Amino acid sequence: MRSRLAIPALLALLALAFLASLAFGELRLSFDQVLSALLGGGDDIARTVVRDFRLPRALVGLAVGAALGASGVVMQAFFRNPLASPGLLGVSSGGALGAVAVLALGPMLGVAAATMWALPLASVIGAFAATGMVLMLAQRGAGTERLLLSGVALNALLGAGTSFLLTTTAGHFEVNAQILFWLMGGLESRSWEHVWMGVPPILLACLLLLPLGRAMNLLSLGEQSAQSLGVDVRRLRWQLIVLSTVLTALATAVAGIVGFVGLVVPHVLRLLFGPDHRRLLPYSMLGGAAFLLACDLITRTFPLGLRLGVVTSLIGGPFFLWLLRRPR
Amino acid sequence: MSSALHATDVAVSGRLEAVSLELGPGELVAVVGPNGAGKSTLIQALAGLLPARGSVHWNGQLLSRIAVAERGRRLAWVGQEALFEFAFPVREVVAQGRYAWGDDPAGVEEALATLDLVHLADRPVTRLSGGERHRAGLARALATGAPIQLWDEPVAQLDVRHALEVMRLARQLADGGGTVLVSLHDLRAAYRFDRVLVLDQGRLVGNGRPHEVLTAPLIRRVFRVEATFVESLVPELPKD
Repeated sequence: MRSRLAIPALLALLALAFLASLAFGELRLSFDQVLSALLGGGDDIARTVVRDFRLPRALVGLAVGAALGASGVVMQAFFRNPLASPGLLGVSSGGALGAVAVLALGPMLGVAAATMWALPLASVIGAFAATGMVLMLAQRGAGTERLLLSGVALNALLGAGTSFLLTTTAGHFEVNAQILFWLMGGLESRSWEHVWMGVPPILLACLLLLPLGRAMNLLSLGEQSAQSLGVDVRRLRWQLIVLSTVLTALATAVAGIVGFVGLVVPHVLRLLFGPDHRRLLPYSMLGGAAFLLACDLITRTFPLGLRLGVVTSLIGGPFFLWLLRRPR
Repeated sequence: MSSALHATDVAVSGRLEAVSLELGPGELVAVVGPNGAGKSTLIQALAGLLPARGSVHWNGQLLSRIAVAERGRRLAWVGQEALFEFAFPVREVVAQGRYAWGDDPAGVEEALATLDLVHLADRPVTRLSGGERHRAGLARALATGAPIQLWDEPVAQLDVRHALEVMRLARQLADGGGTVLVSLHDLRAAYRFDRVLVLDQGRLVGNGRPHEVLTAPLIRRVFRVEATFVESLVPELPKD
């Protein structure tokens, strides 16, 4: 497909999903009402709904989708394996365990007051610990089997830690409910606090990633040849691992575990527009944001109260199985 | 003679033992040796792609003092395996050779033509055969315009004609003042080089003109085969 059309098409999709996120919900608003509410007009209820509830939710969703899409692209280039992604490798689980640890242990340790910053911080620490373990378990260029198996093991291990915390807090209904929120991911009741916590750092990390696309192209074709062609591979690897882990951790901190975005989005875009990371990075940020908002819309319009992480997994799981079956 | 590449006691534990050598500009040099003799290790160490003891100088400058991007302009390396997991078009793979030049596209089309890849330029590199991928790797090295070229078994997977063309290219680069080091298994091909390095179990056991180094006793000792010097079929590129 013509890559010239990619940015306009993805931007249009994103704008559509974003506007729909502001319009749809229990209170159905027209696009006119949304626009006037955004500009400070319209009736009080519509204004409150749009500006205090839906706008922060949509902004968080946009940032989370962009973060997961970008970190998926980075991990695939880093491991030179198109099946690598933050969820499958266990980095998301690490971030969730960190967040859950703060939620579960915070009240006991009296850090509840600091929770707003403790949460993303713990998530970042947990995600970095998981990334460190992935790096030990699966060397770069590791075969698909080794990479995925170490992800299975790590996800099981971190999941066990999370389950343990879940059972120790079984008596505290509220804490338990919060933990479940992280495990199934979601954008409910995301406030402006979450926007300030997540959106600026995610945007910053995305901006820092964009100039690395060219070097990532070379890295994805082998570390030694990249080095011989003039890429400072050691430095690039550090940049990539730090930025992708931070992105995954921040996304997890504000929205819980939302799986498969980092796998599905880069894959589809790579099939459509080719593997050039200079383009794939921005495309995956836009595409990830649009995809996440669309999935969130499904959770809101579906009557059974589906969770966001459940929707992305329902889409991503079969897609992943299809990828595995596909001859490479 | 000013040296383009100068190695002093280069060693990699378990693989290479204190190898010292000097390659000059305009030299076409072959490195031969049995499997596991350390050919690839030596080439990677000279290219600065492997932590090694000892010292390597490029044009009199200590390798560790040369910035990574500058290295990409001065030396090109082609590995034994062409790893291509992502479906970049061949032209893009070749253009990656220009990374260290800020992606200035000079020489990319010529490199494609030289390695007979023009008709494959828009094809995803993952759909090429092993030999074609190898030619893409060589074209990328050529596109760097680097005066020092290190090629690890560049012709092992190529058909007769393309192998001869690659050998002719190596000769042309050397004639143009470049330094070309090529690892090979074909001892008859090595005979046409200016100089031959023989590696055996990580040690440099031969370094000199082919007819002086590749003698029957050395071949027997290193490769454990008998060599007889007879006339035989010799494929050549047409003279046109």
